[in-house]
Amino acid sequence: MSRDELNASEREELAALDRILAREPVGEQHLELAALVDSVRAGAPRMDPAFAERLDAQLAAHRRRGGGGARIARPGIRRLALAGSGLVAAAVAFTIVISSGVLSGGTTHPPAPARATPKIPALSILPRKAPGATTTPTGATSAFAGSSVGAVPSTNLSAGRSLSARLVHRDSALTLATSPASMQSVANRIVAATEQRGGVVESSNVAIQGPASHASFSLAVPTGRLGSLIAALSSLASVRALNQNSNDITNSYNAEQARLADNVAARAALLKALATAATATQQASIQKQLNRLAARIAAEQRELDRLLGQGRTATLHVSVVAGASAKHAKASAGPFTTAFHRALHALEEILAIALVVLAIVLPFALTALALWWGATAVRQRARERAMRTA
Amino acid sequence: MTVIAALPTSGPGAGEQFEQLYRSSAADVYAYVASLLRDRTAAEDVTALAFERAFRRRALFDVRRGTPRSWLFAIARNAALDELRKRRRTGALLHEIADPSTELEDLDSELAERRLLVREGLASLEPRDREVILLKFVGRLSNAELARVLRCSESNAGTRLHRAIERLREVCGVTR
Repeated sequence: MSRDELNASEREELAALDRILAREPVGEQHLELAALVDSVRAGAPRMDPAFAERLDAQLAAHRRRGGGGARIARPGIRRLALAGSGLVAAAVAFTIVISSGVLSGGTTHPPAPARATPKIPALSILPRKAPGATTTPTGATSAFAGSSVGAVPSTNLSAGRSLSARLVHRDSALTLATSPASMQSVANRIVAATEQRGGVVESSNVAIQGPASHASFSLAVPTGRLGSLIAALSSLASVRALNQNSNDITNSYNAEQARLADNVAARAALLKALATAATATQQASIQKQLNRLAARIAAEQRELDRLLGQGRTATLHVSVVAGASAKHAKASAGPFTTAFHRALHALEEILAIALVVLAIVLPFALTALALWWGATAVRQRARERAMRTA
Repeated sequence: MTVIAALPTSGPGAGEQFEQLYRSSAADVYAYVASLLRDRTAAEDVTALAFERAFRRRALFDVRRGTPRSWLFAIARNAALDELRKRRRTGALLHEIADPSTELEDLDSELAERRLLVREGLASLEPRDREVILLKFVGRLSNAELARVLRCSESNAGTRLHRAIERLREVCGVTR
């Protein structure tokens, strides 16, 4: 029998005690207990009638102020609930802002389809990025940091002026995977998406051979639309890999520009010398130098055009291999399937945000709970101590 | 004993339910608090405070966690113990409750003697034993309600009660 357990007669006595307190009849053996109860109750302090009246009046006043409802207690709970809701809302807003990339300049992205950025299993961006050039989660880049493509100076400008903006050549490789059945459809869409963005297909190879089907494309697209094109192509099939290279060619361009300026100046000097040449031999010699210089100037002009073309046009190598998961057969899927996938994706994002919010709020809530519990336990212990020493 | 199942905070019966609890418990709560504090003025303050707290917190009352009466006694107990703590800190003087022996003059001598004996015996008990007897005899709480107020199991409350009664019998020299 444990310490807390009573034997049968003790339990019977307690049952009799309950009957006594309920003013029910008990057996003779419990009359002594009834007398004890009576004595204790009779000796208990009685409320002073004046105090009883005061208490009545006090509670009546509370009821009038409280209006019969819990209006005194509820605002506290309501305030707590409001504060909690505000905290959660702030955490959600903070999470959304952080996850949307607004703080890291994400708003400058070129427009891309809302759900055009699927999961990228292997993303490697080579560290040859130009200083100041930006790379966005969708791969969107700007070729000239702080400047638009249209601001690129032409080679028709006077020789010797170097670029004020950076000239960056972008070269990317994208590997997609799709089912053999949708290989042709994906290939067609790649071409269409490229042309839609003002790009060209420099070379292509599509082989439909069942499970061994594959396709490859070499695309040239205005640098400013590379990100948009990658995003669009990524929505056509599963992305297996994406490599993005940036090569700053500003220095090469400026060096070429300087050489051109020197040669143009030398040509001007030679032309002056030709005008003052006294002999036919001198004239022939100067003319020969002028011809060599003209060939050099033409070559330098072509090199400048080539560099500028590289800066304006990005290259994208796309490989499509067979064997995508069913999830990305949506290139040929119906609208309901697409909508379903989009809804699923939205749910995933909401769940992710909820998890982040939970991760933020939970430690605070647990700490507050632990503090409250600790304070309550300490207060209760102090009360019990007060009882022992009363 | 009036049993109130729950304390609705709104609706036509809300005020009546609390009023009923107040009417059925006020005297017992006061008697319990006054016995604990042994100070009439402090007992009045604590009783008023307990009912005020109960009125304010009645929205938080959860019927699954006990009866309104046990909830009310728990509030009164906490308020009384807080008063004891405060008194210990400040060293406040007791305004002893007037000796009620004058009330005994009208009774026959044997009954009066027994009541005096029990009163003195109760006063000599350990505070924990005295409290459990007061909650049961004066507060008329069931063992489950007693457990709720004392924050222990029902069987533990029963055991504590029985032992306290035994000790009271012992100090009063009562034989069964």
